[in-house]
Amino acid sequence: MRYIPVIGLEIHAELSTSSKVFCTCSAQFGGEQNTRCCPRCAGLPGTLPVLNKKAVEYAVKAGLSLDCAINMYNSFDRKNYFYPDLPKAYQITQFDKPVCINGGVDIGGKIIRINRIHLEEDAGKLIHDDFEGISLADFNRCGVPLIEIVTEPDISSAEEARAFVEAVSLRLRYAGVCDCKMEEGSLRVDVNISIMPEGSAQLGTRAEIKNLNSLKSIVRAIEYEISRQSEILDSGGKVVQETRRFNDNRGTTNALRSKEEAHDYRYFPEPDIPAVIFTEEDIENIKASLPKMPQKRFEEYTKDFGLSEDDARLIISDKALSDFYDNAVAEYPNYKGIANFILVELLHQLNKNEASIDSLAFSPSEIAQLVRLSDESKISKNAAKDILRIMFEKGGKPEVIAKENGFLMDTNVDAVIAAIKEVMDQNQKAVDEYKAGSEKVFGFLMGQVTRKLGKGSNPKIIREELTKALKGG
Amino acid sequence: MEIHKHNLRSLRSMLDKREISAVELVELYIKRIKEVDHKTNSYITVCEEEALLQAKEAQKLINSGSSGSLTGIPVSLKDNICTKDIRTTCASKMLEDFYPPYDATVVKKLKACGAVLLGKTNMDEFAMGGSSQTSYFGGVKNPYDLSRVPGGSSGGAAVSVAAGLAPVSLGSDTGGSIRQPASFCGVTGLKPTYGTVSRYGLIAFASSLDQIGPIAKSAEDCGIILDSIAGYDSDDPTTAHRGAPGSCSKIGMPLNNLKIGIPKEFFGDGINEDVKAAVFAAVKEYEKMGCQVLEVSFPSLKYAIAAYYLISSAEASSNLSRYDGIKFGYRSKNGESYEELIKNTRAEGFGDEVKRRILLGTYALSSGYYDDYYKKAAYVRQKIKEDYNRIFNTCDVIITPTAPTTAYMIGEQESNPVKMYLADICTVTVNIAGLPAISTTCGYDGKGMPIGMSIVGRPFDESTIIGVADAFERNFERQEVSI
Repeated sequence: MRYIPVIGLEIHAELSTSSKVFCTCSAQFGGEQNTRCCPRCAGLPGTLPVLNKKAVEYAVKAGLSLDCAINMYNSFDRKNYFYPDLPKAYQITQFDKPVCINGGVDIGGKIIRINRIHLEEDAGKLIHDDFEGISLADFNRCGVPLIEIVTEPDISSAEEARAFVEAVSLRLRYAGVCDCKMEEGSLRVDVNISIMPEGSAQLGTRAEIKNLNSLKSIVRAIEYEISRQSEILDSGGKVVQETRRFNDNRGTTNALRSKEEAHDYRYFPEPDIPAVIFTEEDIENIKASLPKMPQKRFEEYTKDFGLSEDDARLIISDKALSDFYDNAVAEYPNYKGIANFILVELLHQLNKNEASIDSLAFSPSEIAQLVRLSDESKISKNAAKDILRIMFEKGGKPEVIAKENGFLMDTNVDAVIAAIKEVMDQNQKAVDEYKAGSEKVFGFLMGQVTRKLGKGSNPKIIREELTKALKGG
Repeated sequence: MEIHKHNLRSLRSMLDKREISAVELVELYIKRIKEVDHKTNSYITVCEEEALLQAKEAQKLINSGSSGSLTGIPVSLKDNICTKDIRTTCASKMLEDFYPPYDATVVKKLKACGAVLLGKTNMDEFAMGGSSQTSYFGGVKNPYDLSRVPGGSSGGAAVSVAAGLAPVSLGSDTGGSIRQPASFCGVTGLKPTYGTVSRYGLIAFASSLDQIGPIAKSAEDCGIILDSIAGYDSDDPTTAHRGAPGSCSKIGMPLNNLKIGIPKEFFGDGINEDVKAAVFAAVKEYEKMGCQVLEVSFPSLKYAIAAYYLISSAEASSNLSRYDGIKFGYRSKNGESYEELIKNTRAEGFGDEVKRRILLGTYALSSGYYDDYYKKAAYVRQKIKEDYNRIFNTCDVIITPTAPTTAYMIGEQESNPVKMYLADICTVTVNIAGLPAISTTCGYDGKGMPIGMSIVGRPFDESTIIGVADAFERNFERQEVSI
């Protein structure tokens, strides 16, 4: 039988604030074990959480960038469970008043709805030493601010799931609230998945796959789970509601705990943190601080600038690159020309030099000037590449580099006409042959004129003037 | 008069006039503690060395003429208030060897004033109880009658003041834990408005109810202490942004326009006749001073005990989850897995009353019970606030008994937890509504045991209740205990 997968995601994204959500410890990834924690985030008796306002602001930014509505009244709750990496034995989170609700992301014609985004604290990490048979706790990650983005079950395939996670990551990076480095755990995904027979309206029993930490494992876990559940149903069995773990080496999932073993988290309002109440003005200010989002830029590039979808996608895939492009075309609106030059020549140089777009020795406006010089035939296409190479090495204005290095092409038409006259006078025989119909000699005459004019001569003008002179004479 | 019977104003004057040095004063108290406290067991830890060092520093300030109201004054602290590198046990085996790496905000403030930390006082384990008999370090005894309880949970704090083992003390009050022991020990105890004093460094019992406050010989002494410890604290976001409290500003002001509310429900069948008579007599005194007395009603009182025990136990069950033997505190020697280790640690480290509250709170928050218990309690909380708001529309203060009885015999009630819980009826509503209240002695029963009355005020109106309590204290002869 054919089945339709019904998939919802929970994306955990660590916010890139400089300090943790309830204390002033560094929230940076890594660090020597237990050096980025304090009595507060280690949950020592008598300590109290102090909310980092920046984390709330970042959560709002995340919500706005995913088209969510923002709750003006924000309160926190405690989620109680025992685990050695959770020092207070409760996680401060938002249960019934999440900071953002009702968002959505378009993944190429289909909208995946977002149910809610709430702000919470991350737990620590356990390091298991199987050799010694001991487990050690590292609390550096404890209290790093985290948002959990919960979708509606709108996703129907592994590819859609991947597209959604990519789109969300891109927007969070644009908003500057999360670096979305899955390999460092700053973005982790739980997948809720069930299947139902094609044509059925009855949802199947779902399994939850926890803690997927790469796009590849999201895709593989979903594909495995679809086939696992399909086989169960095909053979007349029943899918059990449970939490499963994805095994990256084997590409399979295995049961972690059943619904009966599920925790009772005993949520209740966090008494130590007063509610955070936003005004319309607060939200407007946060909105104003957000950059133009990638989906808006994509639309602009393809519809208004006439770029191909592939080129547009390539540019928006990196906010710094897209900002660079936007600044360049603001100076000189040859949208396609600048896009080509950036995507081919600039990216080539970046790769070759292992450089990043943020640390260039020249500005977007200087790239615009370079493209303009080439467009206006003041330099040749090859010269443009050479000038870019020099700009990479030492910076500098393209026009100055062109002048200093003799790349500037002569546009003095009188000089060209004079040279042509001289060459034609000295090569009467070739001129006659041309007039008799031998076009071959054009190249010879062209070469003579170019040699006479020297480096920096403009082949386009020479060609035009020579043609005119030969035909007119 | 013996020095340990002096009040703060008098000690201040003696210190400033060099009639006694800060070191002599501390030595005197340490000597008394050594002589007397084996009978009362009010201290868990005495900080002799640190206190003498602090006293020397305080004396320098006094000598330089820059002493504040508490410079050189010895203070005892309830042992749930964190003191840097001084063990802070909560009277529990769980924290028997816990040495906090930081001072509570109130401790920082006291140190900044030049106050001298005498020691850490005994209490009910994790502040859960009203008798100070659940301590891992043994029960506390009432100096008026050593066979009786001192009340609790700040029993050690109240006894240290009553028995002259500290001039003033800090306790904590979640449902009456400052006022009730103050009442049982014949001293004055103040529970400030929620948010007046920082809770940073107070080991949490029930976060939405806990508040640190002073126990002293008089309302004025309580006010002097409160002024030194109150104020917004960036380490505790639940503290209020308010200026200096000026707690003693209404002392000596005429009371002839004051309206006193007497909620009849607080004088019902469960209240001992001696207690009722003493409180009514005190109210008569206020009438003589020109106050107007109004009978008011407090219909939500009948739900208060249930709501209090649900809210406080729910919060406690969460606050006390961190004691898992992993990072600090007691760890069981038995347990192969994490689950076993944590079970054994908590089974061995907590006493029965603490376990009872954790069970109750966990149950109240469990899925399927939350709406019936925790949520309903939160609703009652709202009703209690409404009752107070309504009364304060017509009254300036409310007077009630502090406890239904005077101090009872050790061993008399401990076997009946529900009866113990019901005895909190007069105090818990104040915490539920976050209001300030002060308990002062208003009489003695037939056996000579002190009776306390509580004066409850509007939010952040500590100065009025201190002024009102002081007016009574001036005309009341306290029977000092000799021990």
